[in-house]
Amino acid sequence: MSVKVEASHGGIPHGKIAAAGIVIALVSLYIAVIGHEVLNVDYLAFFGGIAAIGALIWGNSAIKRLCSYGIGAGVPSAGMLAFGSGLFGMFLGVIIGGITSVWIIPVAVLVIALITGLILGWIANTVLNMKIPVMIQSLAELAAVGALTTIGLRTVATGCLEMGDGVFVGVGFIAVAFMLGAIALQHPFNACLGPGETQDRTNMLVIECGFLSMIIMAVISFVAVSAIAGWISLVIAVIGWAVSYKKYIALSKRDAAAWLDAKPFVDAEEE
Amino acid sequence: MQEIIIGIGVTALAGALAAVAGAAEDTESNIGSQGDPNSQVQLAPQMGYTHRIYNKAVSGEPPAYTLWVTLACGVAWAFLMMGMNAILAIVLGTVLATIVQGVYATTAYLGRTASLSKFGQPVFTDVLKSVTTVTMGHAFVAIFTTVVICYLLATVIGHPFSLPLLGIVWGLALGAAGSATGNPYYGKERQYQNQKFGAGVPISASGNIVRYAEAGQRSSIDNGFFTAKFGGPASGLCFGLIVFFELWRTVLFEHYLAGWGAVIAGAVIIIIFMVIDRYVEKWARENYGPYTEA
Repeated sequence: MSVKVEASHGGIPHGKIAAAGIVIALVSLYIAVIGHEVLNVDYLAFFGGIAAIGALIWGNSAIKRLCSYGIGAGVPSAGMLAFGSGLFGMFLGVIIGGITSVWIIPVAVLVIALITGLILGWIANTVLNMKIPVMIQSLAELAAVGALTTIGLRTVATGCLEMGDGVFVGVGFIAVAFMLGAIALQHPFNACLGPGETQDRTNMLVIECGFLSMIIMAVISFVAVSAIAGWISLVIAVIGWAVSYKKYIALSKRDAAAWLDAKPFVDAEEE
Repeated sequence: MQEIIIGIGVTALAGALAAVAGAAEDTESNIGSQGDPNSQVQLAPQMGYTHRIYNKAVSGEPPAYTLWVTLACGVAWAFLMMGMNAILAIVLGTVLATIVQGVYATTAYLGRTASLSKFGQPVFTDVLKSVTTVTMGHAFVAIFTTVVICYLLATVIGHPFSLPLLGIVWGLALGAAGSATGNPYYGKERQYQNQKFGAGVPISASGNIVRYAEAGQRSSIDNGFFTAKFGGPASGLCFGLIVFFELWRTVLFEHYLAGWGAVIAGAVIIIIFMVIDRYVEKWARENYGPYTEA
């Protein structure tokens, strides 16, 4: 049994962040579906990026909780694992949506990914004998985060949630979405790791990473969506990224021991 | 016959590009301080050794380079689909990937350093400005050359994978080659030049990394010229050989035994290299370092 060491104290509890993340992700995905199915426009595709950011906020909190059990070096691998298992939920959810209705895709993706993660978590804890108390729940959450982020970035790139014309999977843009999402998921907690970690700074970095990923998917989206939709996604992503990056630097300045420009450090031995 | 000659030409060109990519990758990661040696940079302030070394804790080099190369390949492929000139598309894809790399590098440095405030480690904005741009320059070279290799594979050799999927494969290979070849040198020797050569890192020396340069306090830029001489070329040779042998065996042997010829040739190459590696390791252990009696 591993011993729990809190990554950081205080802040908003994990349950509340998870709930907020799920709501942001699902609502944004449904707005994108409404845009595509009801209004017949593709310029609401940028809501896919907002969905990805919501999912990433949830995922960051889940990684932080899982990694409080002394698996610090495993933070980047947790991101990869989340997206590897999440892809299964994303594909199956989209296939089920193709057979039945587009409207069930977001929920189907979430539920299938959660089940995949539960099975993987059970294998990790019992078969591989890791015995980490939050393992099953965390892996289920991470798989769901991976699936929701991938489908969100896919919506930005193609303008719709369903398989479409194969631009996303066939041409291989799914590889870009996979890596963008996996690094964006693990980076915030990995980068802010340490005794002075603060929740608001880490969450601001999650938002920054989300918008940065959205910028790239918006550039790629010009292949599949109309020019106006591509530009809307790109401009929103760039503005969101610039604002969150600036705020993140301000929060880092607040938390840092000192903020020096071209000054030497003073060594304890020299004092 | 013509197909094989073109294949061999691409093999030689890709091998040369890969050598440049590997050298640039290792220089980039050592200047930015990435990968497992970075744990000592992270540890140093906690042991009372404040420093001016960069802290590019994005992830290990293989996942990080997978992202940069895949991203550049994806954007380049998108521009190619829109009818853009190939060289321009690859350059624009690489520029975007380099910007993303720079942003990730700054957020990692700021995040890790701010979280070490308890131990009095300051954020040095001059380090942030000077080192980030130098790592971005090296990253551009590494990413551009790797994307060109992927492009040659996809268009001239006719590889069945699309450019972004090739980016995942070769980005991962580039990061792994640079990490495996370059990190022991950076982590065990460069950071511990104040210890006995070849002694590894004794527990008592943990965190006591070299923090002073020839003049004044060292920043990670000082790792650049040293890596460009030793760790960089070694990594370049490693990645260059990987790409060269991979393409060489495919071009020459894939027509034998319904494709199995290339697989068998690959296995034979691995066995030959295992023998060479074992010999070099034994020779080095007998001739260098304090472990001769052991």
